[in-house]
Amino acid sequence: MIADDDPFIRKLIATTLADVAEYALHEAADGVEALVLAAQLEPAIVFLDIDMPRMDGIETCRSLRTLDATRDGTIVMLTAGAEREREAIAAGADLFLTKPFSPLELLRLVDELHSQLAAAGPGH
Amino acid sequence: MTDILDSDVRRLHDEIDALRRRLAEREEAMCAKERQLERYAADLRETYKRERERTIELRGSYMATVRALSNAVEARDAYTGKHAERVAAYGLALARETGSALAQDPQIEFGFLLHDIGKVAIPDAILFKPHQLSEDERRLMQRHPIIGWEILREVDFLGEAKHVVRSHHERWDGDGYPDGLAGPAIPYAARVFAVADALDALTTTRPYRQAHGWVEARRIIQEEAATQFDPAVVAALARIDDTELARIRAAIS
Repeated sequence: MIADDDPFIRKLIATTLADVAEYALHEAADGVEALVLAAQLEPAIVFLDIDMPRMDGIETCRSLRTLDATRDGTIVMLTAGAEREREAIAAGADLFLTKPFSPLELLRLVDELHSQLAAAGPGH
Repeated sequence: MTDILDSDVRRLHDEIDALRRRLAEREEAMCAKERQLERYAADLRETYKRERERTIELRGSYMATVRALSNAVEARDAYTGKHAERVAAYGLALARETGSALAQDPQIEFGFLLHDIGKVAIPDAILFKPHQLSEDERRLMQRHPIIGWEILREVDFLGEAKHVVRSHHERWDGDGYPDGLAGPAIPYAARVFAVADALDALTTTRPYRQAHGWVEARRIIQEEAATQFDPAVVAALARIDDTELARIRAAIS
């Protein structure tokens, strides 16, 4: 799931990741939508923009970690700079990508996560 | 008074119109840029997927080539059969049991498969001599690890595998050859190899004796822990079930 208030960034990430690994891609426009969708979809990986209206990435991350659907999933925060990375990790993010993010880093990250989950066995 | 206001208002209208036009143009230019960026993203994705596929193909090619080489070496000796492949399988099981990163490294499997490649330089008369070798003959035979090392020296993709080829006859107590390395100085893969190799040798029928059972083979290997073999690797062997060993042997024969 990709949560970012900028529709173009959402589109760019979705295009970059389209059928690279066996994941369905979904989009959310802000933190509130992200929580609703996450509960329905149980996404294996969530990308969160740190700056979103209504509920920012940090708060959304904390809330996602309280949901059964996303307690143990992978959360990647899209941060604007080094200062907020520790905050992101403290909020429960597993990884972060600094904007402007490297699309190659994004691709490798998704592939790596996919093979880790596959190695962990079925039911993941 | 109103004339002056009128012309001001008209000017403002004109400016607003001009700004609106500029804004529209900027938005269109922005859309064009976004569309172009989208194309970049899509192309990057496809390039990435292609590269990923090529890497998998390449690894497959390397493995097939190494297997072919390994089979070529073994083809001379009717009795070795799938020895190298079995040793590689036992070796990987041992590496996994010790939790070594070795288990994930294809280079190590390459080394196990190619360990005796140096034997291509040993004459038939010596290689197949049915009785005890003379001093000279033994010295020549014991060159095969170095010959193998020389043969593979320029093959970069083999990496650590070359150490298995060179050091697979070293002994934990330093009495091995060609370099007389002892203990942890022996490359880890070579220490794992030694145990895997002995295991297969003992549990295969040879011209001069029947195959031992798993229990007997383990006992014989245990006796050589800390002399010939790394005791930690021997301990790892003890943790692997007979059933798994039997499965490997059944799969590769």
